[in-house]
Amino acid sequence: MIERIKELAREAEDKISSASDIEQLSKIQLTYLSKKSELMSFMSHMKDLAGEERAKFGQLINSVKQDIANNIETKKKLIEEKNLEEKLLKEVIDITLPSNNYDKGTKHLFQRVIDEVSDIFVGMGYQIAEGVEVEEDHFNFELLNVPHDHPARDMQDSFYIDETHLLRSQTSPVQAHVMLEAKGKGPIKIISPGKVYRRDDDATHSHQFGQIEGLVIDEHISMSDLLGTLELFVKKMFGEKREIRMRPSYFPFTEPSVEVDISCFECGGKGCSLCKQSGWIEILGAGMVHPNVLRMCGFDEKKYQGFAFGIGIERVAMLRYGVDDIRRFYTNDLRFNDQFHKE
Amino acid sequence: MIFSLNLLKKFVDLKDISLEELLHKLTFSGLEVEGVDHIAKGKGLVIGEIIEVNNHPDSSHLHILKVDEGKKGIKQIVCGANNVREHLKVIVADEGALIGKDDVKIIKSTIRGVESFGMCCSLLELGVDKSLLSEKQCNGIEELDDDAPVGEENVLEYLGLDDVLIEINILANRSDCLSIYSLAKEIGALFNRKVNIENCYVESTEKASYRVSSLSDNCRQFALRVVSGIKVGKSPKWLINALRSQGIRSINNIVDIGNYVMLLTGRPLHMYDLDKIKSREFVVRDDLTCNFKALDEKDYALEKGDLIVTDGENPLCLGGIMGGLSCTIDENSTHIGIECATFLSARVRKTSARIGLSSDSSSRFVKGIHPSNENETLHLTSYLLKEYASAKDFEEIVDYDVRNFEQSKIECTYSYINHRLGTSITNEKMDEVFLSLGIRIERIDEDKFIAYPPAQRIDLKCDADLSEEIFRIIGLNEIHPTLPITPMTLGGLSDFQHKKRVLREHLVSLGLSETLTYTLVSEEESNVCDLLTSTCTCYKVLNPMTVEHYYVRKALLPSLFKVVGYNKAHQRNDVAIFEVSSIETKEENFTSLGIVLNGMKKERGLMKQRAYDFYDISGILESILSILGINKSRIKILPLKDSEYFHPGRSGKFLLNNKLIGVYGELHPKYASQMDLQNTYALELNLSALLNLKTSNLKMNEISKYPFVTRDYAFTIKKDVSFAEIETKLKRQSSNLIKSVDVFDVYEGEHIAKGYKSVAIRITYVSNDHTLKEQEINEAETNALKVIASLGAELRK
Repeated sequence: MIERIKELAREAEDKISSASDIEQLSKIQLTYLSKKSELMSFMSHMKDLAGEERAKFGQLINSVKQDIANNIETKKKLIEEKNLEEKLLKEVIDITLPSNNYDKGTKHLFQRVIDEVSDIFVGMGYQIAEGVEVEEDHFNFELLNVPHDHPARDMQDSFYIDETHLLRSQTSPVQAHVMLEAKGKGPIKIISPGKVYRRDDDATHSHQFGQIEGLVIDEHISMSDLLGTLELFVKKMFGEKREIRMRPSYFPFTEPSVEVDISCFECGGKGCSLCKQSGWIEILGAGMVHPNVLRMCGFDEKKYQGFAFGIGIERVAMLRYGVDDIRRFYTNDLRFNDQFHKE
Repeated sequence: MIFSLNLLKKFVDLKDISLEELLHKLTFSGLEVEGVDHIAKGKGLVIGEIIEVNNHPDSSHLHILKVDEGKKGIKQIVCGANNVREHLKVIVADEGALIGKDDVKIIKSTIRGVESFGMCCSLLELGVDKSLLSEKQCNGIEELDDDAPVGEENVLEYLGLDDVLIEINILANRSDCLSIYSLAKEIGALFNRKVNIENCYVESTEKASYRVSSLSDNCRQFALRVVSGIKVGKSPKWLINALRSQGIRSINNIVDIGNYVMLLTGRPLHMYDLDKIKSREFVVRDDLTCNFKALDEKDYALEKGDLIVTDGENPLCLGGIMGGLSCTIDENSTHIGIECATFLSARVRKTSARIGLSSDSSSRFVKGIHPSNENETLHLTSYLLKEYASAKDFEEIVDYDVRNFEQSKIECTYSYINHRLGTSITNEKMDEVFLSLGIRIERIDEDKFIAYPPAQRIDLKCDADLSEEIFRIIGLNEIHPTLPITPMTLGGLSDFQHKKRVLREHLVSLGLSETLTYTLVSEEESNVCDLLTSTCTCYKVLNPMTVEHYYVRKALLPSLFKVVGYNKAHQRNDVAIFEVSSIETKEENFTSLGIVLNGMKKERGLMKQRAYDFYDISGILESILSILGINKSRIKILPLKDSEYFHPGRSGKFLLNNKLIGVYGELHPKYASQMDLQNTYALELNLSALLNLKTSNLKMNEISKYPFVTRDYAFTIKKDVSFAEIETKLKRQSSNLIKSVDVFDVYEGEHIAKGYKSVAIRITYVSNDHTLKEQEINEAETNALKVIASLGAELRK
């Protein structure tokens, strides 16, 4: 009997080791460990034995039973492991194939510059003022100290709609509106980005282009504040290392007026083709608000002073992103637009 | 304007000031130097005399010359010019010389077997502009005067061609600097140098025999001096050279003197041959309508308003623009009248623009002239005529002058200037600047003063103008950056601006690309696909540059369609774009959003792509409403059935308070094929209407703690009953236990009667305060099914 048990144990071991799938293992378990199995049937002989022999017999059966169960379990794990491995192997994919598309589109470069500049000035406590594009010439010119017979008001240069209306030739009329709304009380700190229109068309001029106008008015605003503000802006927009300089200039609505240059960000000021070997790039026009403008827009010019500046949107973008022709902004060739995808 | 450095040097001492220094200072005082050029260039030149001319044995046009270069010996030169002859004095560029603007190097060469040791030059080859040379000068080598010194090596100086031309961008407020005198004064102030401008005075020898007057308010000053005994002839060399440097070709001594005086004083003159005029009167009139033959021999039709100098009746000169042919100076003129008048800038500009005729004179009037130097100008002219045109008799100057010319007087304080500039410049330093600029200062007290600017500075009108003078002369170095000190201000985007930006960024994050298109469109583009503004009128510009940009657009979609077309034409077939822009019409202004989807949506490169469909465009729309927190129930969405631009069954419009504020859907196949935009989905939305809509504040809602129950129903219903109708009706009229109604299948075709569809929906029931009992759900269900039945639905078994 004992021999038979041992034989069964050997037999079971062989079968387990040669089993190749879970199903076979289940069968083996049924064959050797179910209550009706031959091995288990020996349990009923226990009662015929006594004392030490009985204990020994019990131990034998139990240990054989335990061994078989353990072996099955081990083998089962082995097979499962192997199955998993096979499954994983089968599931291998080419992770370089195209992904599901979660990419974003692209902001237009023009808007991108407006958003960037707006963020910088909003950070300094400025608000954004917007205005209409079909504007009264009174706001576009008169209130900005450009009287009726001034050459800048030549029909040749602006798109007139009728005697008194035109497509605004600058974003400055927004200044006039904001000042009149403020009813002579400062401070005012605004920028006004937008489209403007002039009768001009070539590689650097488009009949439609963008400007960002800035205006600060309060009792103690000076030219040095203008310089400091623009320096802060330029460093944020074009890099910490940029320097700025002013050159006297003329605009009817500011006095003194300046052109502002920044040190070339391509060559750092050494001279290159971008800055035409000068080391400097003209970037914007600015000045102290003309007393006539303050007065006409309802401010006491003896009490208040202010500065204003105007930035060409496409010019900034062209310089910063190396765009060679202003018309690219308006063609919307997506091969161009999409190049500015990166944040 | 271009200035000759040599001419400037005549009037201001520039010794020891380098060109670089001069240019830099000019630019940083508001006279921006735009370019520097040499009138001619040549190194290694010498004056030679041709002593022998032989024909080249191997050429029909080449000559072999022997040229005597004085100390440098005699050279053999092969020359192709046909004006070579013995004893002609010529400019020789020796071996090693550099000539012309491009520094062409002259080397020893062998020309058809004959050695040549240099080159005889024309002025053209030295870089002189063609417009300043005669045809003869252009076609041959330069013929020097017989007395030219052989062996002279400072050839350019000898020829008056050693000049530097400085191009300065004279800004609109500094028209005074369009004259050599004023610019010399300005440079004198910048470098604190002496200015040598002599006051010429030529005594009258006769009483005035002409009368002058003006009948127009636009000419309030008209001066005339009559000069007799002049001899018209060639100008002296220095005058020819001076004019040539300024880009003016010499005509004869009289014309040249007129031009020279204009250059120096900035005052345009006009000269009349008095023997050709019968009357003894000059009257400026602006009430004539007549034909006028000008100096350029063309006829101009003059109208009322044009300023015309007449002999009382007949036009003699178009005031400030151009003289008439009838009384022009010719080689026989001896008895002339010199006019120095003031014609109003705006009036000259208007006439000049209308008839399309402008001149150096008119452009000076347009920009603004010195207001009070007519006497000096006439005396200077008289002096030059006396010296260089043998003028003998000078009548008294007659001057009609009804201007109220007042010297400008500006009250100001030193502290104001420092406050404006943010500087702390001392009063003394400012005084120095004013003095150097010829601005007389009268001190009132410690701080206050009155400034009297010189007459030519017509730009100086108020205290701010004085601050600019300090700024540009010494201020640039005195200003140090500061930041404004003002009460704290609240910066930021307005609610509208913020929402607009969020929406733009949302659309970008959905994969759409933003565009920027022109506001001005062609007539054809101006009135298509304009559903939101179909009753509005476009603005139209009076003076378009091209018909392509003529009307202020009233819809964005046509512009976006163009963008799609452009990209398709450039092999980019899948386009998803949007633009936010203002729309301005005669009736209303608003901010509009346009979106166009065309081609395939690449969900996974080429491996998984599908054509855009209606539910893409409607999905984007719904996401916008959801972001803005606008409940769909506030907007009426209806099928857009009757548009020529949109597919009648696949498009929608939505209304807010019965106003159409948006359209979206598939383009009408007819319109699409006409535009070559098959399978295109578009949306245009009045964003202003949406963004200005008040929405409820965000507030937390209780989340139900109790489980929900879902039940599915399938039914057949007439095809034209929309899901929205079913959903709305269920939510509004049925049980309040219904939390949501979702559709999960719509089917038409086999087993379903024609004109009907099968719809499968899932209703979710929930209560916020208890777990639903079976009976409650059944009641709610019965109710819901009744509602569905009322829409004509039949439950499928």
